[in-house]
Amino acid sequence: MAKISPTSTASPAGRHRAAGRALDHLFAALPALWLLGVFIIPLGFTVVFSFGRSSFGGIKLDFTLDNYAQALSGFYLDSFLRTIQFALSGCILCLLVAYPAALFIARQQGARRTALLVLVLVPYFTSFLIRVMSWQILLARGGPIEWLLNVTHLMPGPLDVLDTQTAVFIGLVYAYLPIAVVPIYIVLIRIPAGLIEASRDLGASAWQSFWHVTLPMSRPGLATAALLTGVPMLGELVIPALLGGDKGVLMGMAISQQYLATQKYALGSAMAVLVLLAVAVMVAVLVRLTRGFEEVSA
Amino acid sequence: MSKAFGSLSRRSLLTMMGAAPAAVAISQLLPAKALAAGALNIYSWPDYFSNDDLAAYAKKSGVTPNIATYNDNGALFSKLNSPAGAGFDIVIPSSGWIKQLADKNLLLELDHAKIDFSALDQSLLNRDYDPGNKYSIPKDWGLLGVVYDPDAVGGEIKTWQDFFDAGAKPNVSGKVRLTKDAGETVGPALWIAGKDWNTASADDIRGTKDFLKGFARHVKTFSGFDPAAMANGSIVLAQANQAAARGAIQQNPKLKWVVPGPHSEIWVDSYSIAAQAENVDQAYDFLNFFLSPDIQVKETEYLGYPAAIAGLQGKLSADTKNADLIFGGPGVDFSTLTSFIVNPDTIDVYQEVQNEVQAAAGA
Repeated sequence: MAKISPTSTASPAGRHRAAGRALDHLFAALPALWLLGVFIIPLGFTVVFSFGRSSFGGIKLDFTLDNYAQALSGFYLDSFLRTIQFALSGCILCLLVAYPAALFIARQQGARRTALLVLVLVPYFTSFLIRVMSWQILLARGGPIEWLLNVTHLMPGPLDVLDTQTAVFIGLVYAYLPIAVVPIYIVLIRIPAGLIEASRDLGASAWQSFWHVTLPMSRPGLATAALLTGVPMLGELVIPALLGGDKGVLMGMAISQQYLATQKYALGSAMAVLVLLAVAVMVAVLVRLTRGFEEVSA
Repeated sequence: MSKAFGSLSRRSLLTMMGAAPAAVAISQLLPAKALAAGALNIYSWPDYFSNDDLAAYAKKSGVTPNIATYNDNGALFSKLNSPAGAGFDIVIPSSGWIKQLADKNLLLELDHAKIDFSALDQSLLNRDYDPGNKYSIPKDWGLLGVVYDPDAVGGEIKTWQDFFDAGAKPNVSGKVRLTKDAGETVGPALWIAGKDWNTASADDIRGTKDFLKGFARHVKTFSGFDPAAMANGSIVLAQANQAAARGAIQQNPKLKWVVPGPHSEIWVDSYSIAAQAENVDQAYDFLNFFLSPDIQVKETEYLGYPAAIAGLQGKLSADTKNADLIFGGPGVDFSTLTSFIVNPDTIDVYQEVQNEVQAAAGA
């Protein structure tokens, strides 16, 4: 396609290109329709509901801010703030573990690099639920990690980490690690080796070269990784239930309760919109952080 | 088919059913009506029928029921209350939600001429959540009780006050399980205060908050009851139903089970027919098959929850372990048991207390 010179659409090549464009539009329309049907329209309902009034299992359309007032006060405000703090902590922890792993893999060559990448990715193809539940077994009393800590004399006696925040964060970092490693790895392998060499030739130490060249150039990867991990963590409810004993109330759980246990769709919708706004802020901040990268990479 | 499944344990079946969620997700994308004609669509709790009995019904009737699952009465209510609920014939709400489903016109009024109630335990009929069984037929029932390690707890538990006192003891604190169900957390505190959980006012319900939030620091988990955690000692005191307790006691026979006083809960999961059912005759046929005494005995042995026929205990096979526990164990005074009925005016207050208790436990 790229070699076809721009000519009028009357020529055979032009017709070919027009047909190709129609196909491109069709391919683009399919995901767009899907997005419209399963994301934009339901989101529209959620926004409209969030200004309505709840009855049990019903909604009366209106324009009231009461739901937002309730969602942003007292217990629910605490939950909202705690959820943001939870997602930020989980996201930062995930990046701290993922970055060195991605850097290590990016510095390997050939088959070894592929093998390591596959090792990181394979668990991701298992069911999310099974990956999280496997930590219940690993972290349980009398389980393999307790045994390991005991025989290495790192910790005597029973391990009581299940149903704590520590277990939640272990599960969180583990579950989201692959989607944090991959985007960072991709930007790292694209950094021209010549830039690193140049920095070393100009007298930078290995650390200075990392700090002034590698790290700034991996910002888009870090931003993508932060987005891919932080956003789902804002709605996380499975890991706190399975590994944290459901202690502490995060927004994911609070929203699901409004929709299920108390059948208050309007309040649940307002909470969902707030989480979405938090996501939007996160995206805006990350876009801002990576602005100007195009010039750097060029 | 029945022989192949007969040699499998429930657990291995559950493992095999790991692929089920994907199948359910795909089937939900299909229009429900495509499934409906000459069929039977059941919306049920997971793993709530034995495969042997389902196969027997398919053989008898020529209809293999399609079963979709939920694990929360709220999810059942939301689904039936939405366009996605069209196409279901039989649903299995718990006692507490039947009135709400019926009030929203989501259940069909039953034609009693088409169901044989005679073999059923009369004490499970005509209860306050559905007077005259207009909308529901009992399927099986359970009790809210406590399973505990008497050595760790250092004494006998007879009342809910004993339960909360035991949980605060130094070697029990941090090894306690409460349920995630708001009624089952708040109910015991209301009963201690001499109140009825179905008539308690919003103030009564909020009145339990400080006490329960104070207790929250002793709680290890609100997640599903885990018999393994009771076997390895990471939990020594837990709210549970009798079937879960029986499972734990089979793993660790020194554990004890009690239904504490002064009151506790009896819930009854019930068959209902959805208002928009398209295979109503097939649904009655299925219900009569599953209400027959032989099938009820087999279902009880499979599920561990007692089915609703009268005189069931004497009919279970002799090798059923701890059979008396299926029925709540000895000494349960059924006259003190009560069923929670969801009330739109107070359910959010119950949930408010539950949320704050769970949050306090995590603080």
